[in-house]
Amino acid sequence: MAEKHKPAPMVDEVSDFEVLEVAVRELAIEKGLFSAEDHRRFAEFAHSIGPLPAGRLVAKSWLDPEFKKLALEDGFTASKEVGIDWLNPTGFGTPSDYCDLRVLENTPSVHHVVVCTLCSCYPRPILGHSPEWYRTPNYRRRLVRWPRQVLSEFGLQIPADVEVRVEDSNQKCRFMVMPMRPEGTEDWSEDQLAEIVTRDCMLGVALPHPDRKADDKRPVHKAANPVHGH
Amino acid sequence: MSRGHHAEKATGKGDPQCFKGEASAPKFKVGDRVRIRDLPDIFYTRCQVYTRGAEGVVTVVTHESPAPEDEAWDNVDKPEWFYIVRFKQKELWPEYPDVYENDTLQTEFSERWLESA
Repeated sequence: MAEKHKPAPMVDEVSDFEVLEVAVRELAIEKGLFSAEDHRRFAEFAHSIGPLPAGRLVAKSWLDPEFKKLALEDGFTASKEVGIDWLNPTGFGTPSDYCDLRVLENTPSVHHVVVCTLCSCYPRPILGHSPEWYRTPNYRRRLVRWPRQVLSEFGLQIPADVEVRVEDSNQKCRFMVMPMRPEGTEDWSEDQLAEIVTRDCMLGVALPHPDRKADDKRPVHKAANPVHGH
Repeated sequence: MSRGHHAEKATGKGDPQCFKGEASAPKFKVGDRVRIRDLPDIFYTRCQVYTRGAEGVVTVVTHESPAPEDEAWDNVDKPEWFYIVRFKQKELWPEYPDVYENDTLQTEFSERWLESA
């Protein structure tokens, strides 16, 4: 009985990869390649980058046909115009990911969606860290084979006459989707447009909507038993 | 070669841009029909099993780079061309529903994995 009620560990055992990361990091610090503080600063930076520059790239493309042409032909150069230099994304000399950004344009007849079946290739300098679900075996193995079913689990139904094109990112190219500009955004400024191009729209699991912004207010649920005086 | 040669080579250029001009002329061009070869891969590969033997069309000739099967072992002296190939989903998954026959999948291969179809 006592055995049965033994508390479960709070976290699972660390994986081999986590052990390897700690070992390599500690060795690098010991050898003087970088300091522990450098590592902390880089980790802090890496966790603070997000999808805003990519949303800006899409909004600019919607408004400026010349820029759109550049974005589709040369994502690397177009990124610079929204403040992202793939060679030096951190600004303090740490190397980037692979630098071949490809922008996939959605049209009335083609809808793109991105996955990396091998692991987690993702255009980090311009989109930030990938969401947790993007790295799960579940998403990776199912999206290539049952894309419409997986998209419907995200609440996205693509009509049968639209081609769903899965991009399996497995080499040095990095991919983001350029969604179509939604109706109801005529006369909008670049700032307004950039706000509705959320991360999921640029992975292809959602479509931009004029009423949905990345920084929308969350619903407020009042406490059922509020503390007196609050 | 120094231990940091990967980073030194890519500094100021980027990877894969730093391998530009190092491969011989590309064997395939956009629009070519290709078949994915089923080469042995006992050590390392980035060629998905689900594409082996499938036929598709080259849609982009992307860049030059050592193939991952070589680069994983630090053999970086023989870069080759890479290609994005588009497949009909039905070609990859025979049970894919007919009603969605236009659906496709694209992924990338180094030249060694492709043969003319």
